[in-house]
Amino acid sequence: MTPKRSLIVLSFALFVAAQPAHATGFATCDAGPRDAWQSQDKLTSLLKEKGWQVRRIKEDGGCYEVYALDEKGGRVEAYFHPRTLAPVPHGAKNHKG
Amino acid sequence: MKVWDQFVRVAHWTLAACVLTAWLTGEIKARSGQLVHEWTGYAALAVIALRVVWGWTGSRYARFAQFVVRPSRALQYARAVLRRSEPRYLGHNPLGAWMIIALLATAALASLSGWLSITDRFWGVAWVQDVHEVLSDALIVLIALHVAGVVYTSVHHGENLIAAMLNGSKRPAGPGDVA
Repeated sequence: MTPKRSLIVLSFALFVAAQPAHATGFATCDAGPRDAWQSQDKLTSLLKEKGWQVRRIKEDGGCYEVYALDEKGGRVEAYFHPRTLAPVPHGAKNHKG
Repeated sequence: MKVWDQFVRVAHWTLAACVLTAWLTGEIKARSGQLVHEWTGYAALAVIALRVVWGWTGSRYARFAQFVVRPSRALQYARAVLRRSEPRYLGHNPLGAWMIIALLATAALASLSGWLSITDRFWGVAWVQDVHEVLSDALIVLIALHVAGVVYTSVHHGENLIAAMLNGSKRPAGPGDVA
């Protein structure tokens, strides 16, 4: 590769790498106003009853994103609807609960 | 003359490819994307481990003892850069040397924290996830500085350092150069 060419290729690679990462979660939820949301604690206790060990709950794409070990001890990253606390399937767009 | 041995060059571009691929696949939730992300991370760790061993056993310019200098020397070199009067180094210059240490350490810790974050023990543990994200972002910033340093030095000393990392050869030391 010529000097000029390698510089062009390299700058292009860095340009691609420097693009801001898109928020590409497993799913998105149409969850409406927040005052209708149920609490994360409620979701935690519901999942505990199922035998899950909840490690972390975050908001992602309007859904609750749960990191947990399920009743078999397997690692799961699952989405739940903030209003209904119903499971949201992976790939769902603007899930209504 | 030959400066970068074959192992150094292959390790450099393999690590660069791993980091770039891991960066691009970091936000992908599809299982295939996650697998690529995880395996480029493991590959990066393996390359770093081998490179560290090579830092004691490799050829002259591959050895840490040849290029890692006291921070005060690196500062002195940085001041010379600001005056555009830094000497040409056949191996790594003092700032480049510290950049290599920073890149290897950051890439290693970013990979390790990513690995931890998918173990049962640390799954969903916020600080592990946060450390992984911060170090991964820091790594990209360091790479940008690394490339900026390479481009500056290439232009200032009239020598294509990217080509040198591909074919291993650099112009022999002239008067005032540091061999």
